[in-house]
Amino acid sequence: MMTRLTRRRLLAGSAAAAAMSAGWPSLQVLAAPAPFSDYRALVCVFLFGGNDAWNTLVPRSPAEYDVYAASRQNLAIEREALLPISPLASDGVDYGLHPMMSGLQGLFEQGRLAIINNVGPLIQPVSVSDYFSGNAALPPQLFSHNDQQDQWHTLKGASQSATGWAGRMADMLRTQVAGQQLATNISLFGNSLFQAGGETVAYVMGPGGPVPFLGFDTSGFGLEQRRAFERIIEAAYGSVYERAFAAVQRRAVSTVDVVTTALDQAPILQTTFPASQLGEQLRTVARMIAVRDQLEMQRQVFFVAIGGFDTHDDQIELQPGLLGDVSDAMSAFYSATEELGVADAVTTFTQSDFGRTLTSNGTGTDHAWGSVQLVLGGSVLGRELYGEYPLLELGGTGDVGGGRFIPTVSSDQYAATLARWFGIEVADLPLVAPHIGNFAQQDLGFML
Amino acid sequence: MTAHHSRASVDNAPRAAQGLAVLTLSMLLLLAGCGGGSDDSAGGVVSPPPLPPAPPAVSQAEAFRFLNQATFGATEADADQLRNVGLDAWLDAQINTPASLQLPHILEIESTSQALAFTLQADRVDIWFRNSLHGPDQLRQRVTFALSQIMVVSQLGVLVQGPWALADYYDTLARNAFGNFRVLMEEVTLHPAMGVYLSMRGNRKPDPALNIRPDENYARELMQLFSIGLVELAIDGSVRTDSAGQPIPTYDQAVVEGFAHVFTGWNFAGALTFERARPTITNQTQRMQLYPAFHDTDPKQLLNGLVLPGGQTGEQDLADALDNIFTHPNVGPFIGRQLIQRLVTSNPSPAYIQRVAETFADNGEGIRGDLGAVIRAILLDPEARPASPADTAGKLKEPLLRVTQLWRAYDGASASGRYPLGQSYVLFGQGPLQAPSVFNFFSPDYAPPGEMGSRDLVAPEMQIATEFQNTFITNVLAAYTFVQNSANPDLRPDQVAIDIDEELLLADDIDALIDRVSEKLLAGDISPMLRTEIAGMLERIPVSDSTARVAETIYFVVTSPEYAYQR
Repeated sequence: MMTRLTRRRLLAGSAAAAAMSAGWPSLQVLAAPAPFSDYRALVCVFLFGGNDAWNTLVPRSPAEYDVYAASRQNLAIEREALLPISPLASDGVDYGLHPMMSGLQGLFEQGRLAIINNVGPLIQPVSVSDYFSGNAALPPQLFSHNDQQDQWHTLKGASQSATGWAGRMADMLRTQVAGQQLATNISLFGNSLFQAGGETVAYVMGPGGPVPFLGFDTSGFGLEQRRAFERIIEAAYGSVYERAFAAVQRRAVSTVDVVTTALDQAPILQTTFPASQLGEQLRTVARMIAVRDQLEMQRQVFFVAIGGFDTHDDQIELQPGLLGDVSDAMSAFYSATEELGVADAVTTFTQSDFGRTLTSNGTGTDHAWGSVQLVLGGSVLGRELYGEYPLLELGGTGDVGGGRFIPTVSSDQYAATLARWFGIEVADLPLVAPHIGNFAQQDLGFML
Repeated sequence: MTAHHSRASVDNAPRAAQGLAVLTLSMLLLLAGCGGGSDDSAGGVVSPPPLPPAPPAVSQAEAFRFLNQATFGATEADADQLRNVGLDAWLDAQINTPASLQLPHILEIESTSQALAFTLQADRVDIWFRNSLHGPDQLRQRVTFALSQIMVVSQLGVLVQGPWALADYYDTLARNAFGNFRVLMEEVTLHPAMGVYLSMRGNRKPDPALNIRPDENYARELMQLFSIGLVELAIDGSVRTDSAGQPIPTYDQAVVEGFAHVFTGWNFAGALTFERARPTITNQTQRMQLYPAFHDTDPKQLLNGLVLPGGQTGEQDLADALDNIFTHPNVGPFIGRQLIQRLVTSNPSPAYIQRVAETFADNGEGIRGDLGAVIRAILLDPEARPASPADTAGKLKEPLLRVTQLWRAYDGASASGRYPLGQSYVLFGQGPLQAPSVFNFFSPDYAPPGEMGSRDLVAPEMQIATEFQNTFITNVLAAYTFVQNSANPDLRPDQVAIDIDEELLLADDIDALIDRVSEKLLAGDISPMLRTEIAGMLERIPVSDSTARVAETIYFVVTSPEYAYQR
């Protein structure tokens, strides 16, 4: 415990240094923080492949729509097919969501969904001339899938990082959630750098929950079988690979009963989820949240995902099914949190590799940069657009070529806003979002 | 009807995770198979010509180590063979063994049944298991599997309707596994499976009136994943840096666009026009064809400052562009390191990478890109054959290799001869040409948290060794040992069973039983701890229940960390 606190102070110290060098006003010395008295969960929905933002949220006002349609040509969505939204504060342009997103359109109108415009990885604000002159630091390997996924996961800019921002949050909050029976981070979609911590390890379950070990039992031969298996994976091994493999097996064996026992007590959800991979994952997250008290959970980050957004071909045919699934599954999940009485305590948000080119490559689009992301929940200041939506003009403001738009909101700002709500102190935000000091606004204001 | 059923079970597959009962059911459904097997293909040992000088002595442990690197799992028979002829002669024979192919099997199934594309994907996985388990070209099949995880195409996605294309793509990799990398690049580039998967097929020259510019997908991934990577490498694989200490990118967006323009004008062969090209069973296994009217003829910016002149043919642009990549100094260390990782160790030393990259640069006869020489260099390197291995030597076995080793050691076969594992990617998190994306099942740079991360080590296979997937595989292995064995009289025709007849005769002698299983799976080198634990459990099982004793022994070995480790 002492070493953890010491380490936390060290981390805080480096945060202080980072904050001061970034021109932050002041920093309090941290006392040992008190345990949380409430429950909060963040649910990351990762859209693998890079969702095409410019057909997710589309201008409807005639002038802006015409610019969009002229740029997009054969990829443009019919104006009449767009689902209108009415933000509380208007930027003077009407917008509509993709025709398949009726569920999220309704939640936007009810004030539960916020849309963040033209957001993406940045180290500092960048103009088109900066981009070409090299006057501003840029995230490395722009337009590459895995590198830009890593940027979203880690927010580390030019530095390599073994930790993600959810992993670092779990590290920082670990003394405040010491009673939890499970790790703060849980993935239903495999290992992700997003949840990798320096001191905490995420737990990976299947889309439907954990799998029990065949043949293990609580008594008799099955119990002896389990104990022998446990002794084997607890033994000392000579190679790093055996040790790493055994460590996963130990976590699997030691966690599965706790989770399965708790899930057995989960109420039957009345909410119907779509019969998709994403629907199943979010249904399981809802069930996990339903048994949060049995598991003594106070802070949780869930990672779920859906692939297929890399629409180089046949975008007009492929994207509707994907966005329809996202909209239906996220809407169902919100309903489930209402059913469980935790809508205010659960915030769901999207991330994706990058946005896509405004121009067509024939029947699809290529890798770009800025995108739009969605934030959903009872504590979201919804029915608003945050950040500037660009005029979708080729060669227009922010286009570095082919309709690749430089983000005007950074993923650091996006993450920091969510982290604040999750319980990270302002002084600690640079540990979560290392470049937050380079942006005027630390908090985008979309959370209560 | 059949197709509909198969599709439904794929969509439902993840639900198998929800509970024991469903999981067990799914195993019975999915892993269905029988005993019997195809004797004609059993064995997997090549008979090389006798060599005049006696090869250096090879221990059984060393033979197993080598065979687990070079085949789909060491067997005692192969170890005997290897120890007789020595590594050099074994490699010579293997490199000269022609490829066991997939497409003829797919075409035969299709000709004798009304099989639809989707069910043929299961047949494609079936022939993968047959060739991987029993093919006499073990080294070639193993290297092909490695290449299929570098130059990735996948059934999951648009190619779900293309089992012919996928089977032929795998065959293309197999034919070229010991050939020249430049040829391999071209075969891959013009293969319709790749054309469809990374959308180079149908890519056209710019149409400014419609704001259409060439598709960058293949251009980018060919460089990033299949050949040179993102940053400049020294020949030992280390990252080169500029005066500010930053890595030096190998290319920028202009180069991606240059290659995107190179790869214009290609489509399925044999169509009347570019725009009318549609996939057929025939053309999805033929090289794509150039439709010159759709090829861009402007100058193109490529790597290292090369600019292709305008007005070249599509074929000439393609040849020049592939040469431009092939001669980039990154290819040797970039591809060499990944082949080492697939076959030998996750963490090769820079010197090991350098030795392999030097072989890539020159096979000793002045030829660059000789993959046969590269594979030989990888397997015969002192670091692959260590006298006293470091704790970072070796790697975690890929999930499929844990299974193939078991089935090779224990003659895993079904009565029908089939291996009904079309959903391999669900069961093991890995299946032949079933990666979730072009980024494969795992990244070559994945560093698991904990000891490995803090020691700056990587373990690609650990990326999919999650709590969930590991448990799932542990359970599948329980079914493969306790249920699907030769003592079970109730196996269905497609259920793959291990042959435990020899072990059943030893069931009353705990030490002898453990010894025998250890010999077959661990070269006799079981740890005292694992032996003690297994012996303790066997004492709880009545001698009369010989099947349970045998299955228990094999289960504990194949689920152990020491078996999951490729030494």
